[in-house]
Amino acid sequence: MTQKRKLRWLSRAVSFFRNVTGRQKDELDIAAELNAHLDLLIEEKLRSGMKPGEAERAARIELGGVEQVKEQVRDVRTGAWLDKLAQDCRFALRMSRKNPGFTAIVVLTLALGIAANTTVLSWISATLLNPIPGVAHTSDLVTVARGDLSDHPTPPFSYPDVRDLSERTQTFSGLLGYHEDYMSLTGVAKPERIYGALTTANYFDLLGVHPILGRAFLPKEGTPRAGAAVIVIGYAVWQNHFAGDPQVVGKKIQINRHPYTVIGVAPRDFNGCKTGLRTDLWIPVSMDRDVWGADRPARRGTFWLNVLGKLRPGVTKNQAETELNLLMRGIVERFPEDHRDSPNEISLDPLWRSPFGINVYLYKTLPMLLGLAGVLLLLACANVASLLLVRSVGRRREIAIRLGMGASRQQIIRQFLIESLLLGLLGGTAALVITKWTSRRLVAFFPPTPIPLTNDAHIDQRVLFVTIAVSILAAIIFGILPALRSSSLPVQSVLKEEATSVSLTLHKGRLLSGLVVAQISLSLVLLVCAGLFTRSLQKAQQSDPGFEASHLLLASYELSPAGYTRATSVAFDRQVLDRLSALPGVESVTLADFSPLSFSIHTDYLQIEGYVPQPHESMEISRAIVGPNYFRTLRTSVISGREFTEADTVDSQLVAVVNQAFVDRYWPGEDAIGKQVTDGPVRFTIVGVARNAKYRLLTYPTEPVIYLPIYQAYRLTQDTTIHLRTTGDPRAMASSVEETIHQLNRELPLFNVNPLSVTMQLGSLFQRVAVTFAGSFGFLAMLLAAVGIYGVVAYTTRQRTREIGIRVALGAKKEGIYRLVLGQGFRLILAGLVVGTVLALAFARLLKAQLFGVSETDAITFTSVGLLLAVVALVACHIPARRATRVDPMVALRHE
Amino acid sequence: MSPEQTNLLQGTLDMVILKALRLGEMHGLGISRRIEQISQGTFVVKSGSLFPALRRMQEEGWISSAWGESETNRRAKYYRLTKAGVKQLEEETAKWERIVLGISRTLEAS
Repeated sequence: MTQKRKLRWLSRAVSFFRNVTGRQKDELDIAAELNAHLDLLIEEKLRSGMKPGEAERAARIELGGVEQVKEQVRDVRTGAWLDKLAQDCRFALRMSRKNPGFTAIVVLTLALGIAANTTVLSWISATLLNPIPGVAHTSDLVTVARGDLSDHPTPPFSYPDVRDLSERTQTFSGLLGYHEDYMSLTGVAKPERIYGALTTANYFDLLGVHPILGRAFLPKEGTPRAGAAVIVIGYAVWQNHFAGDPQVVGKKIQINRHPYTVIGVAPRDFNGCKTGLRTDLWIPVSMDRDVWGADRPARRGTFWLNVLGKLRPGVTKNQAETELNLLMRGIVERFPEDHRDSPNEISLDPLWRSPFGINVYLYKTLPMLLGLAGVLLLLACANVASLLLVRSVGRRREIAIRLGMGASRQQIIRQFLIESLLLGLLGGTAALVITKWTSRRLVAFFPPTPIPLTNDAHIDQRVLFVTIAVSILAAIIFGILPALRSSSLPVQSVLKEEATSVSLTLHKGRLLSGLVVAQISLSLVLLVCAGLFTRSLQKAQQSDPGFEASHLLLASYELSPAGYTRATSVAFDRQVLDRLSALPGVESVTLADFSPLSFSIHTDYLQIEGYVPQPHESMEISRAIVGPNYFRTLRTSVISGREFTEADTVDSQLVAVVNQAFVDRYWPGEDAIGKQVTDGPVRFTIVGVARNAKYRLLTYPTEPVIYLPIYQAYRLTQDTTIHLRTTGDPRAMASSVEETIHQLNRELPLFNVNPLSVTMQLGSLFQRVAVTFAGSFGFLAMLLAAVGIYGVVAYTTRQRTREIGIRVALGAKKEGIYRLVLGQGFRLILAGLVVGTVLALAFARLLKAQLFGVSETDAITFTSVGLLLAVVALVACHIPARRATRVDPMVALRHE
Repeated sequence: MSPEQTNLLQGTLDMVILKALRLGEMHGLGISRRIEQISQGTFVVKSGSLFPALRRMQEEGWISSAWGESETNRRAKYYRLTKAGVKQLEEETAKWERIVLGISRTLEAS
């Protein structure tokens, strides 16, 4: 039996294939067979004694319609459904061509709705879902961090700690450590600043990244003191500095004035494992002394490595976390001195919200934007559904005729859905074209910054697949109601009706009104979100950051790669300040190792006199190294004590300034002046307290900051940023600043020469992304809702032309007619606003964490946005209302 | 349709066609006439039923077809039973006999 069934399937499959491919031949064959059959019949009749004409007639009667028989044969053909589908598609195409305006509006509406989703999705795909470009499977990778999840996490581990943890762990198949920072590519005509990583030897192997040329590190190359001067270069370095030389392996390259042998070239799409940041090259961690003149791998108390772990199959994040914490406690017990006062609690995070890189900022913003885009698409569906419903009224006769001719309800529904599907897919295709452009726009939000930000959002497979799925889903959502509604017609009454008197059934009218209310309310939701984000951004930008950003020019340089020592660096810095302050148009000038609101402030691990940290409290505190006159130049007032001067040098007392938040947190109610803070081996005495200033994000609460004088606390590894307060346009000073520096050292590259007001845009990057998107979604939504309500009111008014004509004939005034039509629209708007307010209140609660300085129930936003929407919608209703007042009763009545 | 003519019971058309083809290959009209003949005029198979049925059975693999020449040298499409068709006929016949037996018993009982 089973074999028989198999044979049958086989036979059918063969038939299907033949039917699909040999269509024309098959048709000819059927026709030929029926012709032959007719001939045989005629012959038979003739033989029985009929006359030729009579015989043919009788034969044709017996055969009964050649075309019908053909159709019946076609119906039993395997794969007949395919034919019907093709037929429906052809019909749908014909319908859409017949109505190009309607098709264009629907496709555009859908394209915008779908493109909003696919754009955000392309960003999510390139960041949260594909956190390490070039590494396909990242689901078993986790970041290993100490302390709680934060966007400026504690530098997590010392090299000995990582080594001990990875030797003992049973839950990880490996732990890798890396430290990224700026390096200088030297030994070339113009030294170049690049972003490089020191990594443990297992870095590439654990990630599963294979160099396209040469090899990755050997285990022994990563061992401190036994390490080798080898380097894996990134694709860009290979192309730019070796011109893509295939023989590059074995050649030398100089980093921070030390030579390295190239052993491999990383694949083109691999940028390191910090999402959103591009690493240019990789050196074994053992070479720290060569690169930065430090000997960090040997120190257990120096926490500098970011750690990624690859979980063994079947191990959960919680199990691994428990195990690592157990191991860490063992380490802390053995080396208590090295781990005192720092949070030793380990937390694991999946890469989509990794604290290292850009994801920690995006993992809340992007899904929220996707939610807003989803609302927009829903609104677009409601809009299209109402358009389809209105149009289907015009097609009542066509449908009634088809039903009357014996089409089943199912066939009509199928026909309608296929038409919707066609519209949906056209919309999806247009959306892909839009997304191809918009997916690359995230980069446009990046202000000039020395941070090697990278984003490779594009239409990948995932985006493509979701676009198709969403198009189909949308087609079903907007197509199903009109399809169901239109296929259940009382055929006879429709056919009997005069075409002109066809009017909306009460039922359909209600459905249309419902769709309009839905559109108004959804657009209110989007507008409220847009309004809240805009007000947050406004509040943030109006808020006092604690310094004055206007008229400040920044310019950075880095001395250590240029061969400076600590002493010559300080001398150079002094010369820079002397010469710059002498320039005309300069009010004051200072130096710092960071600049505000550009993710460049560093942290140090501090011990504070008289303060006992809570268990697991992070004592990583923002630390700024600044030159004399820093507070005067930035216009951050010093509340008590003094600011740094030229006299604060290595030979004088070690001093520091803290901000008000520092005092409030660690010495509440006490006088900070004279107290002491220990940073590593050095103890500083507080000589001043400054006003709070925000250096990380405007939306963050103020945090404690300690300032150290640059001539005392100079760190050779860090770059220096000139802060120049000008009397005029800071941009105008750029060239004279560059000239001055090059007079001192012709070779020294000056980078990121920009006004502070420009570079600090980085600090509002994610807010601006949210505002731009929510804003454009809100605007689109309002437009769609206006078009939607216009369409429905205009349509129903046209249906009521006769009624209006009678009213006018009976003496109704123009204002009365106007009010009648506008009133209908007004009721819909009011209902939409009420429903929308309830929805928006619920939705806005989800945004609470991302708002700044404005409550999620902000009355100003709700009222202004509601009023705006009401006015726009009323204007949309005004047009058909005006038209209604011009109805000539004679024309309207004669029309019937 | 004369009073003695009866519509074939649903599902029995296949069996009757297979039975007709049992005797050898035949074209469409031949099958139709053959069925009239063996049912002594009780069953008339219309073209609208015959050709779709032939097509369906061909796709099931029970019969095969080939163009040939009629007794009067006319081109015609000839159908013949396949092995699967013979087996199908046997199964259908057995099933039919069981049904007939059951129905007669039921009718006799009353």
